[in-house]
Amino acid sequence: MSSPGSSCLLVLSMVLETQALTPTHHLTTTDVARLQAVLSQPFTDLKSAYYSVVGLSKLGILVADETCQFIKSNLDPSSVESLFYAAEASQALSGCEIPVSNDTRDLLLATVSEDSTASQIHQSVSALSSLGLPLASQEVVSALKARISKEDNVLTIILALQTASRLSQQAELGDILEEIEDLAARLDDLSGVYLQFEEGLETTALFVSAAYALSDHVDMEPPLKEDQVIQLVNSIFSKKSWDSLSEAFSVASAAESLSNNRFHVPVIVSAQGPAAISHSQPFLRLQVTDVLCQPLSSASVLVESASTSSSKSAILSQAPFTLRDEVFELNFMASQPASGYYQFSVAIAGDSRFVANHVELKVKVSTRVAINNMDLSVVDKDQSTGPKTTRVEYPTKAKAPFMADSHQNFAMAFQLVDETTGVELTPHQTFVRLHNQKTGQEVVFVAEPDSKNLYKFELDTTERKTEFDSISGTYALYLMMGDATLENPILWNVADVVLKFLDEEAPSTIQAKTLYTPKPEIQHLFREPEKKPPTVVSNAFTALVLSPFLLLLILWVKLGANISNFTLSPSTFLFHIGHAAMLGLMYVYWTHLNMFQTMKYLAIIGSLTFLAGNRMLAQKAVKRYTFVASKQTSGAFSFRIIIHRWRRKFKYYSILFYENWIKNFSH
Amino acid sequence: MSNSVFSVISRFVEEYRSSTPNKLKVIDAYLLYILLTGVFQFLYCVLVGTFPFNSFLSGFIACVGSFILAVCLRIQINPQNKRDFLTVSPERAFADFLFAHTVLHLVVVNFVG
Repeated sequence: MSSPGSSCLLVLSMVLETQALTPTHHLTTTDVARLQAVLSQPFTDLKSAYYSVVGLSKLGILVADETCQFIKSNLDPSSVESLFYAAEASQALSGCEIPVSNDTRDLLLATVSEDSTASQIHQSVSALSSLGLPLASQEVVSALKARISKEDNVLTIILALQTASRLSQQAELGDILEEIEDLAARLDDLSGVYLQFEEGLETTALFVSAAYALSDHVDMEPPLKEDQVIQLVNSIFSKKSWDSLSEAFSVASAAESLSNNRFHVPVIVSAQGPAAISHSQPFLRLQVTDVLCQPLSSASVLVESASTSSSKSAILSQAPFTLRDEVFELNFMASQPASGYYQFSVAIAGDSRFVANHVELKVKVSTRVAINNMDLSVVDKDQSTGPKTTRVEYPTKAKAPFMADSHQNFAMAFQLVDETTGVELTPHQTFVRLHNQKTGQEVVFVAEPDSKNLYKFELDTTERKTEFDSISGTYALYLMMGDATLENPILWNVADVVLKFLDEEAPSTIQAKTLYTPKPEIQHLFREPEKKPPTVVSNAFTALVLSPFLLLLILWVKLGANISNFTLSPSTFLFHIGHAAMLGLMYVYWTHLNMFQTMKYLAIIGSLTFLAGNRMLAQKAVKRYTFVASKQTSGAFSFRIIIHRWRRKFKYYSILFYENWIKNFSH
Repeated sequence: MSNSVFSVISRFVEEYRSSTPNKLKVIDAYLLYILLTGVFQFLYCVLVGTFPFNSFLSGFIACVGSFILAVCLRIQINPQNKRDFLTVSPERAFADFLFAHTVLHLVVVNFVG
């Protein structure tokens, strides 16, 4: 009854824990130093002086007073922008006063109107405020609101926020305060890690500083969720080298506002060095800082739970870290953890403003390994005699070499324990290497632990002869051991083993496996032409195949075939020539042409031959009919009779055809 | 038995010699020529091998096609078959024979390679 409820709660807590974001990008001390260096570059004009001076003051660094002289000499009292830079920079320096005339004041006050750009309003209001001159806050608010409604872009609203933070607290800043939420909605979420404006890093950083400046000024928490704050931290501090002075300035002011505002202070937790603990290094050291890498001394760091990665059973619970030299440390080895990886859940408390104050860390506990009870033995296969066991102590080598041939097996057994606690260990890599000194050949095997964590290795010479290429000789036996959690990886020459293999067929020297040498060249074999019969045979058969033609001519002559009926008329000549031409075209087609060309020529010759042939055959038909007709009727033949007869025949047949057709349709 | 076969054959030959008109005998000689040509081509293929197989095929098909067309011509020309071929005059038969041969030769030459 209770177990489903408790497991549900456990699942829920685990889910809640995994959803809290922690910063993936933050400034390290070197990054802060680099930022400082960028801002400390010698400045050429008033604008760069403003960025440098004010930027460095945000990082907490005071600038030399000579800058005041530079500012005063470069000031242009007729330009609002110049007045703004001078006023802000002089505010950051100590004891620097800018002389103000009435004209300057009037100029600045006149700029506060709906017609000026948001940037101009911001600059004049900031200058008035820094120079200690009075200003009408309500007028500014209405001018800003009018400006926002005219220009809805992100930078305008950010400048409005900045300006509003300089106004008196009695002014109605509610509408402008609401703009923070609208702007926050415009941020782009990149894969849940980054949150930034599409205008870029500088705009995002300026937004952060403006939003927190205004929120602090009106003492109202900005409508940014914790995860959003962390995503903003990731975006702003992911870039570690800055293109321009203004970008560096924006990052510095964002960093300052995130470390010093009244509502959200993101906490950066990082382990000092690798998060690895051993007996020589028993303390887990953590640096807990804000985004400017300033240590949070007021924090109290607590391990909520520490459990092994595999079993999830808690080793530690609610253990506090002690602060020493701005570093929080915890003696984890005091809890005597076994070697391996541990999942730490750390909570940083002490200030309600802390954001991302639950951190998950992976800590490695490493140890030294000791080899116990290394027993080497040679066992007879048929088990006729008992095994001879020799014990070897690390790191010495066995005095006598071991012999193993086809009747014997070589065996090795050992135990691996933690040096201090005596707990059995199973490292990731336990190898047994046999190295033949003469040939340079080496064979590596894996030693496996049995159920009682006792490592065993057996070498059967007949079974393994392929790995050794059946080369007999003296092999040096090494034990290799390593693991990520071991401080002392081991390479130990345990003994020499003399192996004898039967039927030694291998070459005396081993050629190193040549994988990257050029391979033998492949000669391309062209397709061999098919075997043709000898020319004599084909010639003989050609003659044989052509011989029936002779027979035909002989038979025709015998039968009395003649061309006596050859009518000498142009159409016959044309027909015969055309026919011969067609046969010639066939030969030319076989030797030179393709089908398309042949069809072309055939069309021409064929149509000529057809017309001529038609004529010739018609004349022949006429001749035949008149011959028949003259045989039947005495009297001169008349061509007209033939035509008349044909017409009659044609009429007869056409009538017959139509009669049949009508009959089909009447049914 | 062989006696009767021999007598049948000799009677057939005698009748052939006497009753077939000369024109048909001319065509029969041509048929014999075509037949022998085809047989000799086939003999070569059987004895020596089918190496240029496409050539063999085209030659053989030429012989077979020519034989068939000549047989058709013979049937159509034969005066005894006049009743079956009233619309086809001998000249028409010959013209058909020539046209069909043109097509056959085109195909054969294309295939002989």
